[in-house]
Amino acid sequence: MTPADPVPAPQPTSLARSWAIQRRVIWALVLREIPSRYGRHNIGFLWLFVEPMIFTLAVTALWTATRSVHGSSLPIVAFAITGYSSVLLWRNMPNRAIGALAPNLSLFYHRNVRPIDIYLSRLLLEAAGATTSFVFLVVFFCSIGWLEPPEYILQIVFGWIMLACFGFDLSAFFGALSERFELVAKLLQPTAYILCPLSGAAFLVDALPTEGQKYVLLLPKVLGVEYIREEFFGSQIVAHYDMGYMALCNLALTLLGLAEVAKTSREVIPE
Amino acid sequence: MRIAANPLFVLLVIVPTVLAILYYGLFASDVYVSQSQFVVRSPDKPSTTGLGVLLKSVGFSSSGDEIFVAQKFVQSRDALKALNEGNYIRQTYTSPSISVFDRFNALGFGNTFEDLYNYFRKRVGVEHDTTSAITTLSVRAYTAQDAQKINRRLLEMSEALVNRLNNRGQADLLGNAQREANDAEAAARSASRALGAFRQRSGIVDPERQASVQLQLVSKLQDELIGARLQLQQLESIAPENPQIPQLRTRIAGLTRSIDLEGSRVAGGQGSLSAAAVQYQRLSLDREYADKRLTAALAALQQARNDSRQQQAYVERIVEPNLPDEAEEPRRWRGILSVVILGLVAYGIMSMLLAGVREHRD
Repeated sequence: MTPADPVPAPQPTSLARSWAIQRRVIWALVLREIPSRYGRHNIGFLWLFVEPMIFTLAVTALWTATRSVHGSSLPIVAFAITGYSSVLLWRNMPNRAIGALAPNLSLFYHRNVRPIDIYLSRLLLEAAGATTSFVFLVVFFCSIGWLEPPEYILQIVFGWIMLACFGFDLSAFFGALSERFELVAKLLQPTAYILCPLSGAAFLVDALPTEGQKYVLLLPKVLGVEYIREEFFGSQIVAHYDMGYMALCNLALTLLGLAEVAKTSREVIPE
Repeated sequence: MRIAANPLFVLLVIVPTVLAILYYGLFASDVYVSQSQFVVRSPDKPSTTGLGVLLKSVGFSSSGDEIFVAQKFVQSRDALKALNEGNYIRQTYTSPSISVFDRFNALGFGNTFEDLYNYFRKRVGVEHDTTSAITTLSVRAYTAQDAQKINRRLLEMSEALVNRLNNRGQADLLGNAQREANDAEAAARSASRALGAFRQRSGIVDPERQASVQLQLVSKLQDELIGARLQLQQLESIAPENPQIPQLRTRIAGLTRSIDLEGSRVAGGQGSLSAAAVQYQRLSLDREYADKRLTAALAALQQARNDSRQQQAYVERIVEPNLPDEAEEPRRWRGILSVVILGLVAYGIMSMLLAGVREHRD
């Protein structure tokens, strides 16, 4: 990248050095992504977390207003925030990942910009937005007393990271796959819609019939939401989760996702 | 030789696999699992809705509360405390025959009761199947006898607990009914005593009935009076000198006096029946009410007695704790295999991540 070294250096770059370069590339891509996505006018990059926040708030308001429909004594605010923040976390990520390479094809002329960097920068941005909105909303509702402050922050952090990992892997996998098979991009939207009600955002596993619980708990997403919810609701609900299983799912998905990204990155041709 | 050259593969696959083989092959102690199954039954409570009647079969159904009581108790500190009498649990699980990796408190720190509780809880499993209502209790120990013994003791203690809850509930139920019956009996007794005292004092048994008798008497006297007056009028007009006339006059005067007297006994005046009737009504109402209350209380007591004979939740063993003759766990091959697979997955992820990083060059 630096013009100081015009001759291609044959000596191998150390891993630490490569990692430093990759970090710089990703950071640069993130910085580039923000204005290209949100523009510079009005609140600019603040949209990053204002957008998901508005969505979550709207759903929270709607659910609070129609509380009779749910007819339970659970705090609706906590229910909506945990549910919808996590939906945002994993639903927007695949959307951002699909077709992520096409607008950035010209960037691949730089040797050090790889498809994985594009995916990572986009997904990191998405995760950062969702996380900021989640944290902000939780702090806000805690401070006005609509939400009980959670007891163990670490459990929430861990659950959130697991959910984010899941979103990452899923997005990287489908994003890379969609570069090679256009059908994936078309099928992802309907699939996401079908999975949305099943994502654990709008129900508690404990409220389901026992027979159904078994199958719902196969979805890693639900486990993560339940895990986070346990902390917010304390003993008011019986949470069902198996983080070991979720970790296994995440591992498998990571493997698939990385393999797919590697394959795509070999095939991608700069414009 | 290429494998040995790849440090990542060695670190993530070879080393864990060797460790797993060492652990599962040499160190891991045999775990014996003793299982028992039971249901907690209680009589059917009459359900009110039509659907409930349709859905529930007649007779017994698994009880909601008691099953959770038994389940929670098995995994409680109280259960462990009772089991650990004479340090039995502690000694069982710290026996030197158990490998260092599986023993309780192998390293010498963390010997508190809480530590023991955390250790023990992992070795007692309770699973409740909501469709069949059967609870499976499994205990893991490092000898077959211990596993069976602990399982049996836990089962016995749960039974004792459910029985204790039963007895308590029954005692409450019966005690309340008995107390109510005693109260009602005392009230009935005092009401009827008050009525008796009133009768004795006033010399009246039943003012209303007596009043009607009295009124009959008065009307009879009035009949006679009218008859006597008519006779007098007849005689006076036909034969004014008849010697019967003064006699009739005396009779009429006597009848009039009698009527006044008898009439005043019914109403008006101090000792009249109508004055007594007010008090009598009150007392008899009291007695009637007390009688009814007593009847109801006695019926309730009888019902409570019947219920207490029937309404018993109890632990019913389906499968007695077994004495395993073979160590079921650890599943050595499975353990080694899963370590190998996990290692390979981790290796795949790491190598791809690193390859991704390495694509960035100066």
